[in-house]
Amino acid sequence: MAGAALTALGLLVGCSGSDDAGAGSTTLSVAALEGGYGREMYTQVIDAYKAKHPDLDVTLQISKSIEDEISPNMKAGRFPDVVVLGQGRKAALTETLIKDKAIEDLTPVLQTTVPGESTTVADKLTAGIVGNLNTDPYGDGKTFLLPMYYAPTGLFYNKGLFEQNGWAVPATWDEMWALGDTAKAKGISLFTYPTAGYLDSYFFALLAGVGGEEFYTQVMTYQQDVWKTPQARQVLDITTKLLSYAAPTTVGYANEQDFTKNQQSILDNKALFMPNGTWIVGEMKDAPRADGFAWGLTPLPAVTAGSKRYLTTSVESVWIPSGAKNKDAAKDFVAYLYSDEAAKIFAASNAIQPVKGIATSVPAENADFYELYEDADVSALVGGFASTAPVEGVDIKGTLFDTANSIISGDKTEDQWQAALQDASEKLRQAGK
Amino acid sequence: MTTLSPPPAAPATAPSAGRTPEKRPKRKPGDGLFVALCLVPALVLFALFMIWPTVNVFRMSLFTWSGFSPNMRFVGLDNFTKLFDDPQFIRAFQNTIALLVVVTIVTMGAGLFLAAIMTRQNLRGRNVYRFVLYIPNVLSVVVIAAIFSALYDQENGLINGTLRAMSLDGLQVVWLGDQKVVLWSVAIAMVWQSLGYYMVLYMSSMASIPEELYEASSLDGASASRQFFDITMPLIWQNLRTTLTFFVMSAVNLSFVLVRAMTGGGPDGSSEVLLSYMYKQAYTNSSYGYGMAIGVVIFAFSFLVSLLVSRATRREPLQF
Repeated sequence: MAGAALTALGLLVGCSGSDDAGAGSTTLSVAALEGGYGREMYTQVIDAYKAKHPDLDVTLQISKSIEDEISPNMKAGRFPDVVVLGQGRKAALTETLIKDKAIEDLTPVLQTTVPGESTTVADKLTAGIVGNLNTDPYGDGKTFLLPMYYAPTGLFYNKGLFEQNGWAVPATWDEMWALGDTAKAKGISLFTYPTAGYLDSYFFALLAGVGGEEFYTQVMTYQQDVWKTPQARQVLDITTKLLSYAAPTTVGYANEQDFTKNQQSILDNKALFMPNGTWIVGEMKDAPRADGFAWGLTPLPAVTAGSKRYLTTSVESVWIPSGAKNKDAAKDFVAYLYSDEAAKIFAASNAIQPVKGIATSVPAENADFYELYEDADVSALVGGFASTAPVEGVDIKGTLFDTANSIISGDKTEDQWQAALQDASEKLRQAGK
Repeated sequence: MTTLSPPPAAPATAPSAGRTPEKRPKRKPGDGLFVALCLVPALVLFALFMIWPTVNVFRMSLFTWSGFSPNMRFVGLDNFTKLFDDPQFIRAFQNTIALLVVVTIVTMGAGLFLAAIMTRQNLRGRNVYRFVLYIPNVLSVVVIAAIFSALYDQENGLINGTLRAMSLDGLQVVWLGDQKVVLWSVAIAMVWQSLGYYMVLYMSSMASIPEELYEASSLDGASASRQFFDITMPLIWQNLRTTLTFFVMSAVNLSFVLVRAMTGGGPDGSSEVLLSYMYKQAYTNSSYGYGMAIGVVIFAFSFLVSLLVSRATRREPLQF
């Protein structure tokens, strides 16, 4: 509203604001989401960058709802030069621009030498972190989004409770069901989730666990009839069984207002596991908790003993809109974000970048979580559903995750779930052709 | 409206009729231009911020567009045909209608009842009641959502807690988790929010009804309920009609903000309403054109309902 009023005033007065600064000095505009890591690290990194480029002015726009602030200008054709914003947000700005093909190809940046260092960006990045659907959304080998920070997501639990009862963290689904029955006898539910949307990391890891990474990619790229396969059915079977162990309060609290109450049930020893990310430690740091409580994180149990387990890894992204004015300066800045200097500043705020040798910089409170990657049986899994042209009325994430609420409450059956997924996947496949 | 419109019409015809030419200052040729110039800024703003966006909604509903890119593809009425095959849209539409009907009837009925009691019965402390009932109207929706989240909490909530304390455990309901109940939980919050506002509106128009009418009728032996239906209702009828139209419009909006703050449309889309579904499609699903088609349906729907309500409630205005 205020912006519109200003525009109107501008029109009435007849002055067109000139954004172009005088020749010689460029203004690089950076927009970032103020996530759990705070805003301080961005100002520090920008100051460090400016110290090296005295003739360059870098402006930072940072907000918890950055989409709302930059979208109106973007619709009017004024784009920020660099955007730090991942996928999976409600406003889905990154996804929208991907679907629109309105993001700059950053493949050349990978071969750029990091400013002030002698290695290229590609050499600094951890193996396997680019080249997946999260960074190459069209699956054509071109990288459009560079991975900024990564964090493991998986099942969070109370280590203390397991120690007190002498329980082992289940390594297979059979052990999981056995533990579910044991815990039930003590009045503890096996499973809960904050909202159904948090099941994303769970499903991605389970799909890969059941059918391997190839099957996972098939699901993510909407292969024909992929939801009719026995693997897909097994995924839904396991999930339906797991949901039958869900805490009775789960669905009633699975909304924007009350989701922390579901998270609280882990702290209160009312439920054993919930899917979540490492931010949970900070998010619930002031919440009351049971004696001896300590956060633990485990990948999903293996489907058969000894088979591979997956740790869905959430990756924030940095990208350059195609409409940005200072693309060259923006690319240099993006390359700088991977320098040792910048990585150190980010790591101090718990924002861990996927660069080689970062493990030593992870602050102690999160070190255990990142150590899971060291396990030979555990693989990192990055990505998400492939982008297609938007299909009206079809939201496969909603169909896959939100239906869990209806499965628990008995409003839908597993067969209906499978059919709806097949239908949504098929529509998206046709749109992606 | 009726008292204001005649005077401007009079001077327009008066000079030509030549009845009172010298009493009124004569219009100079430049006057029209001056008046037009004075009107221009307001008209421009109105056109720019009201008419143009509305026209744009209609135009964009005919395109497939993500909201950002320069590529808009014209698809004619495709977005509308898709709407009627979209079960989630149908459910959102049904929810909106259910909320509209139930919330309107309950709010209007309760508002009228309370207003009648407060104006007709010499209730002690009625200002306090009026104040208390009006407060929800000035609260922000986020606060209301938080209050109701505390009321509806399935374990420690005020409602379920009270039921447990009265050993009525069997009546406990998962207010925001049961798909058959969640919509009514939202409806209760909507009624609570708007009841006070409409009650105050009705109270003010009831207060202006002359006391003699009631005295005369009570001498004739009319009971309080007879007075309500035969005196109060007919005399505030015009007010009732206006508020009804208001309410239809605001209920569509209020249901959206409350649903977004309280349930997010869940569980599994069971409390989705038209506007929240429009938001989901236009932004989260990057289908801006489809979202605008839903917008057009909402526009047409509220327009139609208002028209029907206004037609159905038309009566000869009564004066006292």
